[in-house]
Amino acid sequence: MSDTEKTTTAAAPAKAEKKHRLSYEKRKGLYGYGFIALWALGTLYFFIYPLIVSIIYSFNETHVQPGGMEMKYIGWKNYVNAFRKDQDYSLALVDMLKNTALRTPLIIIFSIFIALVLNQKFKGRTFARAVFFLPVIIATGPVMDIINGNMSTGGYSGGSEQFSTMFEANLVDQLLNFLGIYNISDKLSSIINSLTTDIFNLVWNSGIQILLILAALQGISPASKEAAQMEGATSWEFFWKITLPTISPMILASVVYTVVDSFVDPGNKVMTIVLNKSTNWDHGYSAAMAWAYFAIIGVCLAIIVAILNKVIYYEVE
Amino acid sequence: MATKKEEKQFEKERKAAAKARQRRMKEIGIEKFLTPEQIKYNRRQRAISAVWPVFRFLILFGLCFIILYPLIFMLSTAFRPSEQMNDPSIIWIPKSFTMDNVKQTWGVMKFDKTLINTIILNLVASILQVVTCSITGYGFARFKFKGKNILFGIVIMMIVVPPQITTIPLYMQFAHFKPEFLAKLFTLGKSASLINSPWTMYLPALFANGIRAGLFIFIFRQFFRGLPKELEDAAYLDGCSPLYTYVKIMIPNARQSFLTVFLFSIVWYWNDYYVSSSFFTNNDTVALMLKNLNTNLIQQLFDGQSVSVRQIIVWLEAGCLLSITPILVMYVFLQRYFVEGIEKSGLAN
Repeated sequence: MSDTEKTTTAAAPAKAEKKHRLSYEKRKGLYGYGFIALWALGTLYFFIYPLIVSIIYSFNETHVQPGGMEMKYIGWKNYVNAFRKDQDYSLALVDMLKNTALRTPLIIIFSIFIALVLNQKFKGRTFARAVFFLPVIIATGPVMDIINGNMSTGGYSGGSEQFSTMFEANLVDQLLNFLGIYNISDKLSSIINSLTTDIFNLVWNSGIQILLILAALQGISPASKEAAQMEGATSWEFFWKITLPTISPMILASVVYTVVDSFVDPGNKVMTIVLNKSTNWDHGYSAAMAWAYFAIIGVCLAIIVAILNKVIYYEVE
Repeated sequence: MATKKEEKQFEKERKAAAKARQRRMKEIGIEKFLTPEQIKYNRRQRAISAVWPVFRFLILFGLCFIILYPLIFMLSTAFRPSEQMNDPSIIWIPKSFTMDNVKQTWGVMKFDKTLINTIILNLVASILQVVTCSITGYGFARFKFKGKNILFGIVIMMIVVPPQITTIPLYMQFAHFKPEFLAKLFTLGKSASLINSPWTMYLPALFANGIRAGLFIFIFRQFFRGLPKELEDAAYLDGCSPLYTYVKIMIPNARQSFLTVFLFSIVWYWNDYYVSSSFFTNNDTVALMLKNLNTNLIQQLFDGQSVSVRQIIVWLEAGCLLSITPILVMYVFLQRYFVEGIEKSGLAN
């Protein structure tokens, strides 16, 4: 409040009217603080403070005690240990980065394609949309673990495993035998196997991305489509010249979402290691691992955003 | 404005007229009207429009099958007697149906109690979260104040930082909640620790820090920024205070995005097992029950013997079915709001 008073007294003698407006602006600013006050308080208590505490943990050797946490300062040792001594950790990290680098472009291209298709008019569109967004409500939950778990159990207990055995056992073999080709089918079926598993994961992980890109597609005015048609543009040209630039901000959002999602997923290898350490009460070590991991995510994201920002087309407001 | 019916009628007439014109042009000789490039273009368009729908149908059908596959499998196994799991002659439709799996899983998960518990938890947390996140989002969208960019940077941080980093310190905070009298108040005087009390979910939600709160604040901010400023200016001129303007003018205009965020919030609270597993040791939410279903089943149905997945799968799938049914029912009825809401929530801009 003191700020407002100062400005009002300073401006008071000269222009009474201006003084009034200034204080109004300031007052609005104060209202702004009022609107975010609840969040700011909560963030201090539920986000910033735990964040700082977790950084402190990461530089300490921790022991859990009935009254709280006992800590012994050991400097960077936790971080050094994570990379030098713990072989699983760095391996999992590299694996994770590779996986994400491979999967993200696939998911994005797939989502753009599906969103384009779902944006067209055809019979059964509502149903198709409903099905494609189904992963949004299911994939984040523990149900997914069981579905995924089925996939790795072998035999025909479910998931994509059975999906691929359907092809493998009957169709491909028989077809090849019929054509007089033997012995290739093993290799072929393993390709089909990995392909189907990939498609399965792809489809199940791109619900939100499809949703976001579809939303962006709705923002393209039908008038521009008509104009392009008048000029004789093919759909291919329309896609590259108009659609892609318009939805590019949303593509960036989807890329960021995909990367964050795959990094944060409790099911991924690095997270599993981090969480295992913390269930073993080794909180300091676990915090150090999590922070190193997070720093890497941050750098990756910053690089991706910096690169993509150059190509993105923002409508001038 | 023409009604939808009339518009359809117009469309039909337009198409018929175009066809008639085409026929007339062909009779006279199409070369007289169009350049060769135009003819080529038209031909190609016609070819695409003939082939594409078939192609599209095949792709969508295949992908829909992949998505629905686990659900169909769930239905197929949940009502199948366990012995028939090893029968190679059964792929989809079992020889006999049984409700036993579902009933037994219901018992193991204590589903009636768990369900009510979860629904109350989700509803309260989601409502709190929507209200506070919308207020915060509005503050970020429409007011200028010092440090706004830094503060909004924190919101972005909230989206990016994995909850795994903050859970352990948060656990300590809740376990030794200060000030103590508040903890006593929340737990009705039982203890100074909030662990296992629903307040571990309500408190963050109340302060716009619940599950994925950062994302929701972001969505609301985008949405409010997209609304015309004249709306509020008119209200201000009439002497409304900002809070009153927000309640009376902005909320009615933002109904759609409120619903969307609310639905997403429910879904994420429903699916969350990581955060709740850190704060609830009694497994009283559906997601936690499902997460531990395997162990519980082995303990209660198989006397602790180790069993293969194939032996236990019917109960697991029954559990899955039970736990997604409520959310699936909600989805079927409110599905269009998920889609339309995002479109209109301004995220698209």
